[in-house]
Amino acid sequence: MFKKMGRKVSEKIEFGLFTLPVLICIAIAFYIPFAMTIRYSLTKWNGISKHPKFIGLDNFKQIFLHDTNFTQSAWFTIKYAVLYIVLVNVLAILLALVLDMKLKSTTWLRAAFFIPYILSLVIVGFIWKFIFMQGFESLGASTGWGIFKLSWLGEPGLAFISILLVSIWQSVGFYLVIYIAGLQSVPDDLKEAATVDGAGPIRRFFNITLPLLAPSITISVFMALTNSIKVFDVILSLTGGGPGGTTYSIAYDIYRDTFQNNLYGYGTAKALILFVAVLIVTIIQLTIFKRREVEA
Amino acid sequence: MNRQSRAGRIILEVVMVLFSLLFLYPLFLAINNSFKSFGEVMTDVIALPNKLAFGNYEHVWSFINYPKLFLNNFVITGVGLIGIVFVSSIAAYKLARTKTRWSGFLYLLCIMPMLIPFQSIMLTVLQLSKDLHITESTWGLGLLYWGFGAPLAVFIYHGFVKGIPKEIDESATIDGASGFRLFFSVIFPLLKSVTTTIIIIDVMWMWNDFLLPLLMVNGSPDTKTLTLAAYTFVGQYTSDWQYAMTAMVMAVLPSIIVFIFLQKYIVKGVVAGAVKG
Repeated sequence: MFKKMGRKVSEKIEFGLFTLPVLICIAIAFYIPFAMTIRYSLTKWNGISKHPKFIGLDNFKQIFLHDTNFTQSAWFTIKYAVLYIVLVNVLAILLALVLDMKLKSTTWLRAAFFIPYILSLVIVGFIWKFIFMQGFESLGASTGWGIFKLSWLGEPGLAFISILLVSIWQSVGFYLVIYIAGLQSVPDDLKEAATVDGAGPIRRFFNITLPLLAPSITISVFMALTNSIKVFDVILSLTGGGPGGTTYSIAYDIYRDTFQNNLYGYGTAKALILFVAVLIVTIIQLTIFKRREVEA
Repeated sequence: MNRQSRAGRIILEVVMVLFSLLFLYPLFLAINNSFKSFGEVMTDVIALPNKLAFGNYEHVWSFINYPKLFLNNFVITGVGLIGIVFVSSIAAYKLARTKTRWSGFLYLLCIMPMLIPFQSIMLTVLQLSKDLHITESTWGLGLLYWGFGAPLAVFIYHGFVKGIPKEIDESATIDGASGFRLFFSVIFPLLKSVTTTIIIIDVMWMWNDFLLPLLMVNGSPDTKTLTLAAYTFVGQYTSDWQYAMTAMVMAVLPSIIVFIFLQKYIVKGVVAGAVKG
């Protein structure tokens, strides 16, 4: 009997030894900071004074009622996220369909489209800044095309498109390889059967390939959404929020308020709103896609 | 019919290869201009350099102390990686093998942070790190990554351990192995494929990460990472594009070289990570 009890205790100790390290690490990285975020969001604090001043929900009132920076950056982020998710996925599916045709150059093509994804986004932003500012000048001079003479980073609308294009350029390879993996799991005999039945390539795509790609689409849309809501690095190096503060995303706006304007309490309140937004969007998306996939 | 479709394939092939070259053209331009003088960059970006000179590289190499930066990146990524793999694999194993209400709850606690965007906690992470005296240190940043990388790693390991039959543990117990010895001699080798996946996605993430290092180790040139140094460098040399592009190329070159050699594994790892994650 004692032996049995001893075993129970040693099992518990072992359980603790195995799980405690990870729990401590996660608490330090996430849970403690998160609790601190909630606390600071209810205060007015510049980060220098010893004691943040408790002001209740005033930060949130201010953000939702009077903060045009916040509304602007929220709109920017929503527009960006929607366009990014649609474009990067459509482009990746189209490329994947071509690469799935087993061309001789498939290995090269896959590698070529994937390379930008292994690079740091900040650096990708700087390289493109160089292309837009210096490269386009030379390209315009040698081709005479008007498209190279536009001010791609100097005009609000164009700067938005530039950010979108650069983000897609950097990450399309990632979605591409997910779709290629998805297409390879579509059985060939299913496609052949459809061909024999007289279905053309377009019908074959919409009736067979696309539904069977559903799991890959779920993953890709999910990834694209979580990444685009948090867009920051590429804007920082490409436009720095300009021209005229029109290209601030929510994440960048939070960064500006906390680290550039030293509004620690106010910035963390915004950060908390971002968290709630991400949470809601994720839950909605998971429920929708789960339901859909079960049917397929 | 057959001939026509073969012609079509060849045309498609040529079009795609041309498109991929155009796709990589910006990278080519960056490399191209890293070999030029300031005057050459200003007169024509697309032209090839007059001669292949490494002057820019010598300048940037010593100016940013490249070997030191490389070492910093290596330490941060290495410390982070070893910790993530170690703490996550043992925890995921125990949590998957124990069937109590507690283990279910703790598992949720481990993976839920995947929903927290980093920007929501960046300020307070910095505050807490200052209190713990782990800022401005490459080791400190590496340690912090243990927690940031753990949720995904626990999630992936947990899913995989569930597929390993319990009989393996039991027969090892009869042979006298238990605790950490059982795990590291019997279970951990079986996790090789997922460990590879986790190594690949985490190395790519930590090596290129920007915002957390910016907050944690940007204070001194002794602790900076490659990306941070490139970022500061451009801030200082706003119009010296030839140096800026050299710094960019030097910052991304290690990743590209590794990718060329390990392409197959990296792509596979990234796909596996996404599908499981």
